[in-house]
Amino acid sequence: MPSNSTGQTSRICGLGWVTPLGADLDEVWARLGRGDVAEPRVITNPETGRDLVYAPVPPKTVEALGRNPRLRRSSAISYFAVAAGLAAVQNAGVCLTPEAAARTAIVFAISSGGVIYTRKFYEQIVKQGANCASPMLFPETVYNAPASHLAAQFGIDGASYTLVSDCTVGFSALQFATQLLATGDLDRVVVVGTEECDWILCEAYRDWRFARRPGGSRGALLAEGAAAVVLGRDGDLELTAHPGAPVFRQKDADAALQRIHADLVPGGTVNLVVGGANGSFADAIERRALLEQFPQTTQYHPKQALGEALGASALIQVVVAALALRKGAIPGGNERRMDSALVTTLGYNQQAGGALLRRLD
Amino acid sequence: MYSLSTSPPHRVAVTAVGIVSPLGVGIEETVPALRAGHDGVSPVTAFDVTRTRCKTAGLVDLAKVRDRLDLERARRNRPRHPASLMMMTAAQEVRRGDPGFEPELFVIGTTSGGMSFGEAFYRAQVEKRRPHTRAAWLANYLPQKPVLEAQGMWSSAAPSQIIANACASGTNAVGHAFRLVRGGQQRRVLCGGYDAISEMVFVGFDSLQASTPEMIRPFDKARTGLVLGEGAALLALEELGDAQKRGAPILAEITGYGISTDNHHLTQPHPSGIGPRQAMERALADALRTPGDVDYINAHGTATVFNDATEGTAIADLFGDRVAVSSTKSMMGHALGAAGAIEAAFSVLALEHQFLPPNIHLREPDPTWRLNIVANTSREASVRCVVSNSFGFGGTNATIVLEKV
Repeated sequence: MPSNSTGQTSRICGLGWVTPLGADLDEVWARLGRGDVAEPRVITNPETGRDLVYAPVPPKTVEALGRNPRLRRSSAISYFAVAAGLAAVQNAGVCLTPEAAARTAIVFAISSGGVIYTRKFYEQIVKQGANCASPMLFPETVYNAPASHLAAQFGIDGASYTLVSDCTVGFSALQFATQLLATGDLDRVVVVGTEECDWILCEAYRDWRFARRPGGSRGALLAEGAAAVVLGRDGDLELTAHPGAPVFRQKDADAALQRIHADLVPGGTVNLVVGGANGSFADAIERRALLEQFPQTTQYHPKQALGEALGASALIQVVVAALALRKGAIPGGNERRMDSALVTTLGYNQQAGGALLRRLD
Repeated sequence: MYSLSTSPPHRVAVTAVGIVSPLGVGIEETVPALRAGHDGVSPVTAFDVTRTRCKTAGLVDLAKVRDRLDLERARRNRPRHPASLMMMTAAQEVRRGDPGFEPELFVIGTTSGGMSFGEAFYRAQVEKRRPHTRAAWLANYLPQKPVLEAQGMWSSAAPSQIIANACASGTNAVGHAFRLVRGGQQRRVLCGGYDAISEMVFVGFDSLQASTPEMIRPFDKARTGLVLGEGAALLALEELGDAQKRGAPILAEITGYGISTDNHHLTQPHPSGIGPRQAMERALADALRTPGDVDYINAHGTATVFNDATEGTAIADLFGDRVAVSSTKSMMGHALGAAGAIEAAFSVLALEHQFLPPNIHLREPDPTWRLNIVANTSREASVRCVVSNSFGFGGTNATIVLEKV
């Protein structure tokens, strides 16, 4: 392992998510099992007329999340985050009394953040002038706005962190949370990944040749949503999050991924791989690494159904892996006992990451 | 399971500092500027400010940064965001200050990553242009790029954690890194923060009327708001015994870290000052220090009505008027995600060189509280224990305690 704290583990005690296929753990699992995939929505770049595509959280799901006075001026990213965080804490069976909240921290994983308000705010600057830009929009553009809203919901007055990076940032957040738990000051950490989409984001990633075009099959289908994992001392699943590795040149990416896999699974035996294949350039690299190291292991790639939710996606993968271990099956698969799952991703901006989940019963 | 620390905590040394700010590129320029109370604020020319109230910022001399960067030609000509240039220069200074330091982990704070490249991309859409540079804009917009560039100075494949806790990010990064080394989870961590001026953020603070068309006057009765700044600072943290064994320079010791979250409002602190007070109390308790042990507070001191009111109240309640206080933002503006790291570096320099940086532009201290403000000129002083504060949007508050070894 590359750092002293890499081998540390924590326990998963709660899960939650908001995805393009719904927000209920079992409902989304069932839909994945039926082979449902996120419904793409075509939007148009209003400046150039170019069509773009992403997978939204359906309006029906958003309505079901309910209204929240604290979020009355917030963007979708905060709604998704708060809904997933609250669901995960409920799933953990935790009642956040003031005493419990004092021993609870929040760690967020974000890649693009509040792009809707950021674009709207900058649009006002460019098209109407700086003196017309709305002060209502700006506070919600900061990366840590969703974390602030969730801290307020929980009444947490202690540690709240927002980490940023590419689609591997969820693994960093899990490792960061494990580091916080190791200080002994906390009983649990709520780790949340969240993301929203906007035409400027879709345009940027399409221009970067990462996102797919409408009707196309090459490239990632960008998605929005959130996922939350409560880490603590108790729980039926043990989690080891790798701190990740930078990838300075694309030709080094195979080696970086393989090193992470070897660190997490030194014996080379694992029952399931929950991979990050999303249709982008990274798929071939990940496929090569997995074929070499885990040629016989069952693989499941949730981004193929749920899309690439950027900062939320690694935590969505972890939720899928946790549910698979608990249910003893991948979505739609036959039941069999599985004791461990490797979760892995090669990020779109020079990061590689991963985590290992183990059943403890 | 994660192991709860039962052994005595490790002591955490600062073995090197790298700094790029409106007060200078590198320690050699920064120390005299701090002593002289240099005003690093100047007119903004990078974008149109005719329709903003505020028209100034603390700006880094990027031409000088480029000159100082020691890169071979191929790497020198690669398109980079100013934040990357500043981070690479700070990293270069750390390398020169402690050549034996090999980081195991990078913990870096920022608020806006490469925002100005995102702005350029948006403007290209509006203007229906597709310039070749847009690929570089996109790759460098993401916040980890300046960190990767800094890592490249070590050819380091160590992992990174990038904290975006608004204006507290830099102090959070230093504080988290400190906790990791003290708890034995890491032996050597490079920590710090960066941010570069962008139009979106500049106008954002202007729209909130948090920034001022006048001078930045922290803790002044007639303060009217902040001016933004930019820069980068990096601190090399290592377990003290390890650092001493290899003969590394020991510039200071970090002894405490406190974090609090104030849920009052996304952009306004609770008027009671509970958030800053909790962060300072927790940091002092973490350092096993009392307010009476502290010689100097490098305040967050943004000069907004709300921040200074709550921070001033918290400092006065906790420390009285004995401890010297200054806001170095008075000299260079508010560098957001870099601010906490830059101010931690300033605190190290105050401990090392035994002086108190001034709070310039102070005319009449706010009479609401009695504070011992280092008004307008620096002071020579015996400095053994420093508190450095950072508070941010989202109600996030962070404080670290630094001491002379």
